Amino acid sequence: MNVPTEHLLALAAILFSLGVLGFLTRKNLIIVLASIELMLNAANLTFVAGSRAWAAEGVTGGSPLQGPIFSLFVILVAAAEAAVGLALIIALYRLKQSVALDSAGELKG
Amino acid sequence: MAETLFYLLSIGAIACGAGVIRARMPLFSVLCLLGAFFCLSGIYLLAGFQFLAVTQLLVYAGAIMVLFLFVIMLLNLGDENEIARQSGIALSGKQLAVAGTSAGVFALIGVLTAGYGIAPVETASTRASGIDELQTLAVELFSRYMLPFEAASLLLLLTMIGVIAIAKRQRAGEPTHTGAGFPWTKEPLDEESTL
Repeated sequence: MNVPTEHLLALAAILFSLGVLGFLTRKNLIIVLASIELMLNAANLTFVAGSRAWAAEGVTGGSPLQGPIFSLFVILVAAAEAAVGLALIIALYRLKQSVALDSAGELKG
Repeated sequence: MAETLFYLLSIGAIACGAGVIRARMPLFSVLCLLGAFFCLSGIYLLAGFQFLAVTQLLVYAGAIMVLFLFVIMLLNLGDENEIARQSGIALSGKQLAVAGTSAGVFALIGVLTAGYGIAPVETASTRASGIDELQTLAVELFSRYMLPFEAASLLLLLTMIGVIAIAKRQRAGEPTHTGAGFPWTKEPLDEESTL
C-alpha cells in the first residue's frame, strides 16, 4: 500500500474530530461513550501511521512494532473504559431511569 | 489496487464515524461504530499489521460491541421518545443505511482477506511473513514492555472488580453502600427526612 502517511494522519484527524464533536454535542450517554471509542480508534490509527512511517524510513533505535504495541495497550484501556463506563450508565439508569446527560447535573454546582 | 481499497475504507470509516454522532437512536450509533471498527481493521490489514487487525476485530468488534449492545438491550433504550418523533420511513431508511454499510464492510473484508491480506510491513529489516511479525511482537512485549504488560493485567483485574461493585444490584433489605456515597443519590436524604 503506497499511501502517504499524511493521508493516514488526515483520516485519524477526521475521525478524532468526529469523536470530539459527538462527545460535545450529544446528550445520550451511550452515544457519548461511542464517540470516546471513536477517538481512541483515531489515536490507534495515528500510532499505526507513525510506526509505518518509521518502518518505511528505516529509523534505527526503535522497533517498527512499537506502534502496534501501543495500539494494543490503547485497545486494552478502551476495553476497561467501556466496561466501567457502561457499568456507570447502568447505575445511573437505576437511579434516574434515564441515560441523558442532563439527568445527572447535580455536580455542576 | 490496495490504494483504492484504502481510500474506499477511509470513506467508509468517515461515513460510519459521521453515523455514530448523527444517529438518533443509540442502537444505530453503535452499529455505525461497528462499521467504523471493521473499516479501520481493514486499513490495519492493508498497512501490514495483521495482529493488530485481528485484535481490533476480536476486542472491539467482538467484546466491546457486545457490551454496548447488551447494555442497550438491558436498558431497553430503543423506545425512548426519540422513536415517536421519527416517521416509519426515516426509520427504515436508517436501518437500510446501517445494513448497507455493514454489508459493504463485510464484502471489503472478504476481498481483503482473499486477495490482499498478506502484505507485510516494508521494513529495512525484512520480516517476510505475518507469523514472524507476531513472534517479534511477542518478544518485544515480554522483554521491553514487561512492566506495562503486567500493569495492564492488573488494570483488567481491577476493572473487573470495579464494574461488579458499581453495577451490583442492591437488595431491598441490605444497607446501601455502593450508591449512598454518591452526591446524586436521593435515597439517604429521603431516609433521613422520613426518620
